[in-house]
Amino acid sequence: MTRNTVIRAVDIGKVVPTAEGNLSILAGVGLEINTGESVAIVGASGSGKTTLLGILAGLDLPSSGTVELAREEITALDEEARARIRGEHVGFVFQTFQLLASLTALENVMLPAELRGDPGAEPEALKLLEKVGLSERAGHYPRQLSGGEQQRVAIARAFASRPTVLFADEPTGNLDTSTGQKIIELLFDLNTEFNTTLVLVTHDSRLAQRCGRVVEIEQGRLRT
Amino acid sequence: MNASIVFRMAWRDWRAGELALLLVALLVAVGTVTAISLFVDRLHQALLLESANFLAADRYIGGSNPIPEPYRKAVAARNLDLVDTMVFPSMIFAGVDRSQLVAVKAVEEGYPLRGVLRTALEPFTRGEEGTDIPPPGEVWLDSRLFPAMSVKLGDEVEVGLARLKVTRVLIAEPDRGGSFFDLGPRLLMNLADVPSTEVVQPGSRIGYRLLLRGEDDELDALEAELGFEDSSGYRWVDVREASPRIGSALDRAESFLLLGGLLAVLLAGVAVALSAHRYARRHYDHVGIFKTLGATPDQVMWSYVAVLALVGAAAVILGSIIGGLLHLGIVEVLKELIPIELPAPSLRPFWLGATTGFICALAFALPPLIHLRNVSPMRVIRRDLGSAPASQWLSYSAAATGSLFLLIWYSESLFLTFWTLVGAAAVLVLFGTLALLLLRGGRVVGMQAGSGWRLALSGLQRRHRENTAQILIFGLAIMLLLVLVLLRTALIDEWRSQLPDDVPNHFLMNITPEQVAGVRELLRKTRRQGPIYPMIRGRVVEVNGIDAKQWDARHRHPDDPGTRVGSERNLTWAAHVPKDNEVVLGEWWPSNEERSLVSLEDEYARELYLKLGDRLTFDVAGVRVDAEVASLRRLDWESMQPNFFIIFSPAALKDSAATYMTSFHLEREEKIFLNRLLSAYPTVTVIEVDAIIAQVQIIVDQVTQAVELILALVVVSGCLVLIASIQAGRDARVREHALVRTLGGTTRLITGALAVEFAVLGTFAGIIAVVGAEVTVALLQNQVFELPVQAHPWLWLIGPTVGGILILVVGLWGTRGVVSSPPMTVLRGADD
Repeated sequence: MTRNTVIRAVDIGKVVPTAEGNLSILAGVGLEINTGESVAIVGASGSGKTTLLGILAGLDLPSSGTVELAREEITALDEEARARIRGEHVGFVFQTFQLLASLTALENVMLPAELRGDPGAEPEALKLLEKVGLSERAGHYPRQLSGGEQQRVAIARAFASRPTVLFADEPTGNLDTSTGQKIIELLFDLNTEFNTTLVLVTHDSRLAQRCGRVVEIEQGRLRT
Repeated sequence: MNASIVFRMAWRDWRAGELALLLVALLVAVGTVTAISLFVDRLHQALLLESANFLAADRYIGGSNPIPEPYRKAVAARNLDLVDTMVFPSMIFAGVDRSQLVAVKAVEEGYPLRGVLRTALEPFTRGEEGTDIPPPGEVWLDSRLFPAMSVKLGDEVEVGLARLKVTRVLIAEPDRGGSFFDLGPRLLMNLADVPSTEVVQPGSRIGYRLLLRGEDDELDALEAELGFEDSSGYRWVDVREASPRIGSALDRAESFLLLGGLLAVLLAGVAVALSAHRYARRHYDHVGIFKTLGATPDQVMWSYVAVLALVGAAAVILGSIIGGLLHLGIVEVLKELIPIELPAPSLRPFWLGATTGFICALAFALPPLIHLRNVSPMRVIRRDLGSAPASQWLSYSAAATGSLFLLIWYSESLFLTFWTLVGAAAVLVLFGTLALLLLRGGRVVGMQAGSGWRLALSGLQRRHRENTAQILIFGLAIMLLLVLVLLRTALIDEWRSQLPDDVPNHFLMNITPEQVAGVRELLRKTRRQGPIYPMIRGRVVEVNGIDAKQWDARHRHPDDPGTRVGSERNLTWAAHVPKDNEVVLGEWWPSNEERSLVSLEDEYARELYLKLGDRLTFDVAGVRVDAEVASLRRLDWESMQPNFFIIFSPAALKDSAATYMTSFHLEREEKIFLNRLLSAYPTVTVIEVDAIIAQVQIIVDQVTQAVELILALVVVSGCLVLIASIQAGRDARVREHALVRTLGGTTRLITGALAVEFAVLGTFAGIIAVVGAEVTVALLQNQVFELPVQAHPWLWLIGPTVGGILILVVGLWGTRGVVSSPPMTVLRGADD
């Protein structure tokens, strides 16, 4: 791992038990991502790209192989320690936005700082909402926002934790073309501004093209 | 996560209505337990107080010698009120030739410590309550002594060597007792006059009692301190011992109330578990998000534990208040029905309610919330990931442990707990299978049905695990209600049948053979006369040629305080089996039997190791009578009829000089009849038990009210469980029906499908409930309440019908939003 490497996956395999026997989802996947890089993971449905994203982000464990994230071997840590790494280094944007319905837009953005127990979560969150153009809607609940607006709140929340790496799972998958385009712009602008490493999974060729590197996955293996 | 975010989380969940059901379920648990316990506590105290009237005290120390000084000192050292009484039989004289055997009771100032004396200036009237006792030099006499001895107020009677003035008619005293050995009418005198009568001589038959009144704790401590052993010659007596009939009524009522309270707690526990599971399920996504944002499993767990603690604390505070108010409401509503004044409640009910709330929260609500720590953060990407199934063990074992603890703690009876648990385990295994089979059957029928039915029945089958659980829960709730209804009916019928309105309430004894025809003729007019029995005193002297004392020594430990075979008994003879007697072994003799045979009461024979064919030799008024045991009988001691341990065949005692006894019923307003009877037959002894019977009836009525009240409260918590259960399954139904509506399902179709679904669930639950109720009631009646077992055919119709209708109504009410909310709202909102 060089000084610039922020993610290093070695020989990742993932096998899940099914009624018909073990199913191999990932096999022998190796990947290194440097600080500040933007990487798109592309592939057909069921190719294993989302599973890989979950493993790289420490949301899930591989059946074999190791993953280092921000110089920590997260595959050797327990859930408690992985959660702390996520809290310090990782931000997420999801296809289904994953905002808490019982919280306002502002409260959703404040959540990461609150979870860490940071003071001054509110002004920081308001600033981020302003950056995504939603300061007017701070008091609104997710169900009062459109899909694009919800995803903008999710992006503000992702950057609120000042992540080293931002993982995005089909961030434009639930949005129309023009809204998706705006979200892409926003994501990359903020990525540049915060000097974040971006790893995203997508079907969207326009989004993949914006990334510095595209990694294609097919039937659980990287195509090189 | 810090405290402020926990508070905010709880507040937001509350605002979003997420916590309402959990809070309500906990409130029901705390409120019901507090209200039931408060009411039962107060009623229990009141009933004990009322029952204490039978003793004229809370407890007494009794013996045939004066109460020794160490006892008095021990009593004096405690904060207790005490009064001495003496009871002895004595012949009293009036005028020149009039005499009568009476039961003298000598009392001192302060008597009675419980209950009241009722006296009058005219015999056979209702009289008035008073607090004083006869002053020294005066006596008060039973009504019937006035005609029997031709005395009037102001006359003097001789008691031993003392001449005492008759100043009042004694109508009733609390501790009159109904014993056949407490023979003769009552004479009440002042204890200070006893020495001047000089009736107390060595060998006199005198009962000494030290009546006590005070707090239960003090009395119990005193009993423990004095440690009454059988060899001491003194007895410690409480109401259960003094009046077994009331004791057993109280015991049964308490068992029932406890059982009712227990069921209410368990029902509330189920409601808590259901709503906590629903709350947890609805937070899987939240936890997934928290975890992706860096929340550790411990943080997640402690936040939800803290939220639960907040809800628990709120439930305990609000529940105590609601329980208190509810019980005040109940007392107010039943004020007319409960004629006795309720003493102030103790703190125990509040403590009981609060602890129940926390235990419910810990045992039923905590496990699903602890589960949340195991929710995978991958859930934000893949929604099908719930929580690890291994921790469901935690859920079930915590619920089982909590239930066990509550059962034991609340019932204070391992026996009741054991049977409840056996019942619950049997219900889960058997009925789970039955419910699955019913669902399968429903599916087959549904294939041939219309679209609403098909939708409903395929839904039932598809969610068969959830629905099996729901049928079990519904079934259990309905079963518990049925059990209570059946037990209530059985208990009340039993009590009432023990004391029918025309139960004999007067006994006539010492009727000479010459008087029998005349007395029979006179009593014929009362229409409710019992049979006339000959009666003679006698005792067993030999068993199979072995001396009675040796017989006892052979079979019994010397310290065994039980009945001795040689004790003196009332004997009778009869040609036919007396009413309420049932021959359980051997055969009753033909009416022309020439041999000398005897029939023994079953328990009596067992206790004395006597069996069929044994030869007993009796000493009857100095004459030896041999008889062979020909049969054993079981009889109903609670029937208020004359009962005999030993009945001879008529030939055995034909030469004995017996007197006769009988019983009859007399209304209060007919009491003047006694005047006529005693004027005509002054030597006959009348024993009046009407006051006791009336008192027992009052107690039975009060207990009945309490039982019905508990039933109502359990019905309420049962309904809440139903609502919680329907709410718990609501989310799945809402989503499914929203989908059906987007695919063109009409409101009518959906309402119809829901109605069918609930009606089928309810009917199945009803079938299960009936099976469970029959088995449980049979077990409880047999094992706990000692009542005969009955089947209830009507239940098999009522159970499923009521189950179907009840769940249909509650279910449609609980899911009314499903039909009316736009499908888009449901499908868009992941959290709805």
